[in-house]
Amino acid sequence: MQTGFLTYLNEAKAVWLRDLRSEFRTRYAINAILMFAFTTLIAVSFSLGSFRIAENDKPFLYATLLWIILVFSALSGLSRSFVKEEEARTIDILKLSANPIAVFLGKLFFNLTLLLTLEVLIVPAFVLFMGYHIQHPGYFVTMIITGGLGLGAGTTIVAAMIARANVRGALFSALSFPLLFPLMIIAMKGCEKAALAAEIAGWHEVKIALAYIVIMVTVSVMLFPIVWEE
Amino acid sequence: MAETCALKIKNIGKRFGRTILFRDISLEMNSGDVVAITGWNGSGKSTLLRIIAGLGRATIGKIEFYRNDVLQTEFDRRHFLGLVAPELNLYDELSARENLAFLMQVRGLQKDRQAIDHLLQHVGLAGWEDALYGIYSSGMKQRLKLTQALLHSPPLLLLDEPFSNLDTKGIAVVDEIIKKHRQRGMIIIASNEQREIAYADRILNLSE
Repeated sequence: MQTGFLTYLNEAKAVWLRDLRSEFRTRYAINAILMFAFTTLIAVSFSLGSFRIAENDKPFLYATLLWIILVFSALSGLSRSFVKEEEARTIDILKLSANPIAVFLGKLFFNLTLLLTLEVLIVPAFVLFMGYHIQHPGYFVTMIITGGLGLGAGTTIVAAMIARANVRGALFSALSFPLLFPLMIIAMKGCEKAALAAEIAGWHEVKIALAYIVIMVTVSVMLFPIVWEE
Repeated sequence: MAETCALKIKNIGKRFGRTILFRDISLEMNSGDVVAITGWNGSGKSTLLRIIAGLGRATIGKIEFYRNDVLQTEFDRRHFLGLVAPELNLYDELSARENLAFLMQVRGLQKDRQAIDHLLQHVGLAGWEDALYGIYSSGMKQRLKLTQALLHSPPLLLLDEPFSNLDTKGIAVVDEIIKKHRQRGMIIIASNEQREIAYADRILNLSE
């Protein structure tokens, strides 16, 4: 049993590393995601500016704006991992060679790598530009990481489902948004709490985000072989 | 004892909407058999190969693979066959060596640089191992497609117009591969080219 699981992981690692290598050479998805994120961040910081917002409103507003930037930036590029296979007509060689579960896990790891890169670059820039004061940095960082993992878990299966459709971009956003909405609400609430001097004992938002990740990954692993065969 | 393999295609049919592409196709093959699938353009040669490879679904009928008389699962199909087809593509942004190393790893095989270099040399791509697949000529791409199909030593080779885009040296390479492979495995060739059909012991004509 363990051997089987380790084999899946090794094959998933191969898919992940190949996607990273391809992305490093073509910058297919990361450019789309970062361009969207930075232009939105600059637009937001210019139009709002920290001095125009009342202190009481800042924790809620900043948490909302941060997650809107992260979610919509992710939606602009996360579907590329599967769409590119379809456009480059490499999907057949992958179907012929790889186990579906390994493909899903490899693509999930790749999307998570993109999201963590996005978060590492955008979140500090957002905090700096907006003058975002955080009272519980540990909780904030954990919320950002679990929110990012949830974002990857929720969008990877949708990316696989829409890869063969004609209007991929619109479909990806339309199908992802209802799935991501509960996560967005929780992540915004968690970041708002981290900015306030509020009680964070119990880490409720982080636990809910972790539960979301477990549910999404489990359902995706069960669904993906069917999506892959179609 | 040498490994035996068999393929049983039972009453396969395929239709798109109301258009019937083919129906009632049955075929049994054993180690050493070479079958050619022929037929007019649009008769479903490539579609039938894709169905056998698991890249498409038959509307009706079933396909069974046997290894040493043991029925193989759908899951094992990827270890059972290698496909060469015009619409099959490898990764443009990876070199030949990287493409093959990746395909070895996702098949659960150990990455073996020596084996890869040996295969590339065999198909006449020595010296081009580190060039990106995207800059290869169509003939070189065809040679690399042949290499990936042989990478895991599958019992069944599915060749869709195997000579396409190849020069005389490339055709000689395919000739050698087919002659060597038929000694232990099975080959299905989809083509209307007389040179390619000539390898077959049996012909399945989809236009009849």
